[in-house]
Amino acid sequence: VKSQDFKTCSQSAFCRRGRALADRAELSTSWVSPYSVTPSSISISPQQASFTAAVKSSLYPDINFGLDVRVHKDGVVRVRMDEVGGLRKRYDEAASWALVAEPDISQDIKWTVSASDVRAVYGDRKEIEVVVSFEPLKVALYRDGIEQVVLNGRGLLHMEHFRAKAAVAEDAPPAADDAQVVMQTNPRAWFEGEEEDGYWEEKFNTWTDSKPKGPESLSVDITFPNHGHVYGIPQHATRLSLPTTRGADAHYSDPYRLYNADVFEYLADSPMSLYGSIPVMHAHSAQSTVAVFHAVASDTWIDVARPAPGATETHWVSESGILDLFIMPGPTPDAVFGQYARLTGTPALPAQWALAYHQCRWNYISSDDVRDVQRRFDEADMPVDVFWLDIEYAEEHKYFIWDKKTFPDPVDMTHDVEAIGRKMVVIVDPHLKRADNYPVYKEARDRGVLVKSSGGENDFEGWCWSGSSAWMDFFNPGSWEWWKTLFQTQPRGDGWTWTESTVDTYIWNDMNEPSIFNGPEISMPRDSIHYGGWEHRDLHNINGMLLPNLTSQGLMARTNPPKRPFVLTRSFYAGSQRFGAMWTGDNLGTWEHMAVGVRMVLVNNIGGFSFAGSDVGGFFGNPDPEMLVRWYGVGVFSPFFRAHAHIDTKRREPYLLDEPYKSIVRSMLRLRYSMLPVWYTAFREASVTGVPVLRPHYVAFPRDEAGFALDDQYFLGSSGLLVKPVTEKGVTETAVYLADDEVYYDYFTHHAYRGASAGGKYVTVPAGLEEIPLFVRGGSIVPTRERPRRSSPLMKYDPFTLRVALSTGGTARGELYLDDGETFAHEEGQLVWREFSARTDGSARVVRIGSRDLAARKPAEAVDGVALAQYDGANVYARTIADVRVERVVVLGLAARPTSVRAGGDELQWEYSSGTAADDKTQGTASVLVIKDPGVGVAADWEIVVEA
Amino acid sequence: SIEKTRGVAPSLLSKYQVTSDSASWTCLDGSKTIPWSSVNDDYCDCPDGSDEPGTSACPNSVFYCRNEGHIGSLIPSTRVGDGLCEPECCDGSDERPGVCPNICKEVGEAYREQEEKDRKIRQFGSKVRASYIAYAQKEKKRLEGQITNSKAEIAVREQEVARLKDLVDRTESLSAAALEHKKLSPLYTTLTEHAHALKSLQREHKKHLEREKALGDILDALRRGYNPNYQDMAVLEAVRGWEALAGLPHINDVAKDDGEAAPNAEEASDAVVEQETLEEGMWTAEQLENDLDRLLKSDYETLLIEHEKHIGASSASTTLLKDRFVSLLETFGIARGTASSESADTSRARKAFTDAEDALKNVQQERDKAQEELTRLFDPEWFGPEGEWKKLQNACLSKDTGEYTYEVCLFGEAKQKPNMGGSTQNLGKFSSWNNAPGVTPGTPEYYSRQSYTRGAKCWNGPQRSVNLIMSCGVDNVLLSVAEPEKCEYQFTVTSPALCLPLEETREGKKDEL
Repeated sequence: VKSQDFKTCSQSAFCRRGRALADRAELSTSWVSPYSVTPSSISISPQQASFTAAVKSSLYPDINFGLDVRVHKDGVVRVRMDEVGGLRKRYDEAASWALVAEPDISQDIKWTVSASDVRAVYGDRKEIEVVVSFEPLKVALYRDGIEQVVLNGRGLLHMEHFRAKAAVAEDAPPAADDAQVVMQTNPRAWFEGEEEDGYWEEKFNTWTDSKPKGPESLSVDITFPNHGHVYGIPQHATRLSLPTTRGADAHYSDPYRLYNADVFEYLADSPMSLYGSIPVMHAHSAQSTVAVFHAVASDTWIDVARPAPGATETHWVSESGILDLFIMPGPTPDAVFGQYARLTGTPALPAQWALAYHQCRWNYISSDDVRDVQRRFDEADMPVDVFWLDIEYAEEHKYFIWDKKTFPDPVDMTHDVEAIGRKMVVIVDPHLKRADNYPVYKEARDRGVLVKSSGGENDFEGWCWSGSSAWMDFFNPGSWEWWKTLFQTQPRGDGWTWTESTVDTYIWNDMNEPSIFNGPEISMPRDSIHYGGWEHRDLHNINGMLLPNLTSQGLMARTNPPKRPFVLTRSFYAGSQRFGAMWTGDNLGTWEHMAVGVRMVLVNNIGGFSFAGSDVGGFFGNPDPEMLVRWYGVGVFSPFFRAHAHIDTKRREPYLLDEPYKSIVRSMLRLRYSMLPVWYTAFREASVTGVPVLRPHYVAFPRDEAGFALDDQYFLGSSGLLVKPVTEKGVTETAVYLADDEVYYDYFTHHAYRGASAGGKYVTVPAGLEEIPLFVRGGSIVPTRERPRRSSPLMKYDPFTLRVALSTGGTARGELYLDDGETFAHEEGQLVWREFSARTDGSARVVRIGSRDLAARKPAEAVDGVALAQYDGANVYARTIADVRVERVVVLGLAARPTSVRAGGDELQWEYSSGTAADDKTQGTASVLVIKDPGVGVAADWEIVVEA
Repeated sequence: SIEKTRGVAPSLLSKYQVTSDSASWTCLDGSKTIPWSSVNDDYCDCPDGSDEPGTSACPNSVFYCRNEGHIGSLIPSTRVGDGLCEPECCDGSDERPGVCPNICKEVGEAYREQEEKDRKIRQFGSKVRASYIAYAQKEKKRLEGQITNSKAEIAVREQEVARLKDLVDRTESLSAAALEHKKLSPLYTTLTEHAHALKSLQREHKKHLEREKALGDILDALRRGYNPNYQDMAVLEAVRGWEALAGLPHINDVAKDDGEAAPNAEEASDAVVEQETLEEGMWTAEQLENDLDRLLKSDYETLLIEHEKHIGASSASTTLLKDRFVSLLETFGIARGTASSESADTSRARKAFTDAEDALKNVQQERDKAQEELTRLFDPEWFGPEGEWKKLQNACLSKDTGEYTYEVCLFGEAKQKPNMGGSTQNLGKFSSWNNAPGVTPGTPEYYSRQSYTRGAKCWNGPQRSVNLIMSCGVDNVLLSVAEPEKCEYQFTVTSPALCLPLEETREGKKDEL
């Protein structure tokens, strides 16, 4: 990392001021917040869900602040505070970009105003109470009388109001006889400090940030008095349970920073900001889960301290913007996920092929190179769905414009890829080469939709791949419709469209932090001007989200009916999950990066953005075969699964590996493809409920303290699959944590491991290079498709295998969701959503395994945002797969050899190998019943009866 | 249900002949016996996949397409019933009936047409190849003749060298004693010391010049080739600094007006090349470059003798010696009777000797070279068992890709020449034929690739290299150039030298079967 390119807190004036404020508060014995609510100003709205109030700071009695508190239908409390009637307006649009819709407000809130506070009690059991204290201003959320979240409990709230620059010459030498002036102490110094530290200008390296608006930072402390773990605030290369940044034993010396940045060769263990920011933080304890989301888009630093083992203090300091805080009351991880999803949206249900394997490199250098890579994958019989083109396809890095020397026939090339059911992804970045022969730049310039430099007069000019470049200002509504039309594959009026692309060409948006090679912190000067006159500093962290947002809309508009878009983004913000996938940027080919990549993807899942992955193989460097194989093991269990490599690396497509590595990777790729139904089903659930696709232990077992910090093993959706990817060199076995008193079957060997009857337990499992520690928790039914194909669309009519992993109680359950995988017909009910179950009849002599329609039972929960009025089990899609059968049912953990296995009265063919039963106390290979071709359709109702 | 022999290769058909449905059948690997009804029932029973030759149920088995009217082929079972019509299965048998049309007639015809075309190319190419082989035979004769001639000449020259050696030994032993005395003069010792110092300085100077050039080359490469992705201000500063020092224009600059770049460059170079005034008599850089060698080659011994003559202090003994010396030379016919410059006689004798020795060495080297060429001529690791590649030694093929012209001189060097000016990059020298593991010298596969390695080093990368992929063609052509990895180029080339005669390949095929 080039750490000198990026600020530390002490190099950032407002962060310095924020930390100094916290220091003074800590040292003071009589600290009290200067902010208070004026009781007489309280105005409760007619529908009672919200109230507004005036807030004053004792430091500046002439300045007015306004407070707005409201409670949403699902109990989320939104607290907003802004300066009222100030010299200027603070940026207040962050939430409008992040929120999926204006939240519904509660219908049954009653605010009670007393002399010292205003409060409301709500919830099913009236268990939640929110209290806004007047003097000093404090907001606290209680559940069952226990404090959950406290704002300004430590008195660090500070909204620097707009002011005129004092006319004092800053560098006037103090006169020698001015002793009495020195004596005149600043009455606000106890709170604000003696000096105006970096109020009006700030230098960093060779850059000077003119600060025409002066100081406008926002500091707020958020305390979780009864939660020992906090998670979230992606993106940082760190652990899932956030280590401390303040206090005697602080793990990091700098706060966590949220300031989207292109960090070259980033550190594998650091609170430094990275490419994206989601300002949502979960706080967790065995009793409760709560969360806060701060809709602020400026540079933000967050300190985390643990004053006592079961409590967490955080301090958020932002450069600009209003206070717009959403408090999610929980009480469980799943409830918090739902509350956050109702605010910013759930992850979009991706096209199914997008969950398959993606092959990328900087760069496949020609049409023939792409064809050759495809040919070699097929020769090696390794499945792959998507080939990617990095920036070198574009002539002089003018995105969309093919370099005809190397890509003379882009549409033919793409059709050759599509002929095997595959797709192409091509990169389009937001910097436009300033060249008059580049229609995209020309049209953007002529429409006036480019970012302006400081002062707002001229188009901003900076340096990126394409040399001297301009940047799209997607905050400008004038850019929206125009940008979407670029992706049309047919000519369109006078405007330029990408006629040299196909409707199966999808897009990768990179460098959208934005990355600017000659800019401060490799990004845009903060005093650059966006639409509406906002400074770049106000909206920096949102900037990256708008490109994939509009690009995905552009892709949808290409066809009628629309296809699901696919857009990969490097930069992101709260709400980005609605538009596509992200990856963890330019990682290094090291074991540390492999390991932290797993954690970063988990954190992103916590942050609502499930469709995440890290570059398999590591972007930089040449991984040895062992490392590459392990990295595939990580990728196979990442929601987004893409291999990528830097231009200076050796080629490392998996078919280039020698044996045995090549066959190991082939098996891993095939494993991923066999599990696509599991992934797709998990994504359906995430798209409806917001509960993430990857679930760390604390999500699956919220009461098991021993699992709260676990971030190297996780569950895949609700499937019951538990995986621990190996991310260390030379490993032959590893310890896997089992949280509960249940049987866990090794997915491959059927070895049965058992958790402890009380509390968790580690078991040692084999983890040689060819082995991925993967387990099916007893009680799960896992649907897979085990016929290898070259690409996932070719599996459309392939039969299913069901793995029935009996629990110690003799039951199991699983789900399968299917639709056409690429259109929006599922929103009209063109889908199949099944529930599989197994139960053991009282005598334990009979196990019944069945399938029933779940969509018909829960039509309102099948599809995100759409309540299917009436669901038809025999819908058009379901009929297309009427012949798709279950070819095999594997039952693990039966107590005894069956005497008969029947479906619909017919005796079936089956094989049984005896072994440990689900409810045995012993470890060892489980009994396995393999039922051959039971003659049942995967989309049909059926029952298989196993009698012993 | 599916035919039991669906997808079975002809050679295995006999193993899939069972008459009764109730019979049992044993997997081909013998690992398991299953009901005959389980064969091709779209469920994988056998660990080796042999029970499902006609379906996709077993992942690692193969499917045979009969392709009547064309040639039968095996495809992986993963492609059976996937909805795509495999080009290898022109009869459409890999998919359910009605999905893929039978196009074997057309495919077969096109295949045969292509085969005929290939055959013609090969036929023509093999004729050219035969001429290459004939050339090698001629070369063989030429080289053998050359070696014989050289051997004779060497014998003669060896005698001449021996004769002159004897002469030098005798003249030198005469004058040696006197000369040794003179060499003790302070003037001579100082002179030789100056000469040594000067030589050392010259050597050091050359070293520095080379170093400077190497550094310049590195910086030039950096300037042209640095990767903006590194976003590295240190690199940028190095480039800018080098441009200022070397008087080069800014590269990749945010040029508002491209026209400005050129005049700027001139200004910059003017600024750097400032003339400094030299003290009188001091050598200019040009003189140092051009004249120093000549000065250092002065024969100081001759100078010593001339010096004496100049100051007129010859002793009796030297005169005596000189007289004897001159008469000796006259005897051998080296100096004329009235030797105008008798003092140089010793060195003249030595010169005659060394010249003769050099001539001998040259002939010996020629012989060795011819010997080596002869050995390589039919060496499979060089010009092939039939010498078919000899004709192409140093045949240069080139390809203009717009920005660059690439050139490879076979068995020599590969180069990249920028078309818009700039320095040529060496991409590597011939190092070997296909050296992939398992490839035997002499096989067609061996001659399908050449490696050119140890080219100019890439900034932040490896030394450039070329992987040359060759196939049979009527001409020697460089078809394409690509850079699949940084600084590792891939050239495709056709050559008649690879067109084996048709009969030979047929035989080869039979051998394989």
